[in-house]
Amino acid sequence: MVIDTHIHPALFAPICRDEKKLAFRCEEMNYHLMKPSDLALLKKQWRLADIERVFLLPEDCSFEKGQAAISNEEIAELMCMEPALFVGFAGVDPRNENAAGQLENAFETLGLMGLKLNTAKLKMFPYDDRIKALCRICAQYKKPVIFHSGMCLEKEAYSRYARPADFEELADKFPEINFCLAHFGWPWVQETASLLIKYPNLYANTALMSFDGPVQLYHKVFKEDMGEYWVEHNLADKIMFGSDSPRIRPVRSKKGLDALGLSAEVKEKLYYRNALRFLGREA
Amino acid sequence: MEYRLGEFFVIADAEVELIKITGQVRAFAEGCGVKNGIAFVITQHTTTGITINESLPCVEKDIEEQLERLIPTEYPFHHNHYLPSYGTIGGNAPGHLKSLLTGNHCVLPLIDGKLKLGDAADIYFCEYDGIKKRKYLVYCMGEA
Repeated sequence: MVIDTHIHPALFAPICRDEKKLAFRCEEMNYHLMKPSDLALLKKQWRLADIERVFLLPEDCSFEKGQAAISNEEIAELMCMEPALFVGFAGVDPRNENAAGQLENAFETLGLMGLKLNTAKLKMFPYDDRIKALCRICAQYKKPVIFHSGMCLEKEAYSRYARPADFEELADKFPEINFCLAHFGWPWVQETASLLIKYPNLYANTALMSFDGPVQLYHKVFKEDMGEYWVEHNLADKIMFGSDSPRIRPVRSKKGLDALGLSAEVKEKLYYRNALRFLGREA
Repeated sequence: MEYRLGEFFVIADAEVELIKITGQVRAFAEGCGVKNGIAFVITQHTTTGITINESLPCVEKDIEEQLERLIPTEYPFHHNHYLPSYGTIGGNAPGHLKSLLTGNHCVLPLIDGKLKLGDAADIYFCEYDGIKKRKYLVYCMGEA
């Protein structure tokens, strides 16, 4: 079993009916020359990687852009279509005055399971009071939070707003919230690793496709940039599988991780057990 | 001279798969109204192929495994890098190269309204970069 904690449903056919909206979304998220896929095809692709659950991530920079690239309603629509498969996360733009109300609505009415924010895209530092206000709501509703961390390939998104070390205060001040630093904070992976060993409520995912193929990149990050045994002996309970699809197909991402030579026990944690704990659902 | 075009879709069950399309091609070619001429079977994609071979599971396996030996999936290809034009990682170099080996089409004669295929021959759509929705064409030209 595998849980993919990082899929952007930008090109899922059921939410691609409006061509103008799709063009806006693809421009914002920097996806080009790709067509929407129906859910049956995507499910077939995921089966190749043994994926049984998928975190769906939204995209909301509406304060600046006037609309969300992937809205909470669209995430909820997909979740309703495949409730056993999809774990939908909410997105709100903390700069909007009604952000708190939108988040509460996403949890209470739409049934979304956590919050996802991209501070690089929002151009807000993680320790901004408006983000802390949203974290207080997540604490109240017992919902996990995924932050984009590190370099972001999206349009007008700046890495300086998403350095792993800048999330430390949140991990410290909200010990009751499980946080995930998506993309392992790449290229600051050692910074991410250092935080992972310090904060029990902090996780990271493997959605860091940027250079080479998965076999080469994962080896570079997890065996060279980090010590040979860091994952196996130190971080086994803190890393979750995430593909960053559609930038790469999940099956390819998983093959890269399979090639690391991790023990069966650690692979089980990385592929699904840690994600269940992150959600508050122990295996 | 008559010209007839058929468009067909195929979805594999694996990343690499040889999919037999003989029946579909024959049905179109023999029913399209061209009696004596030529039928072309052409894939629309650059990481797939069209080929003709014997439909035995062992032969299919040998083809797939030999292609993999020639073009190992995990080789560090030049194409393995971030592609700004797509916003994705180029992960399908093996598909492009395997496509090169089987080619993008096959050609068969149509005689007296029948597709002339060898006794042991079947037509395959070769998926090298699955799973995706794929399209191939059957284009027949000749006398009605």
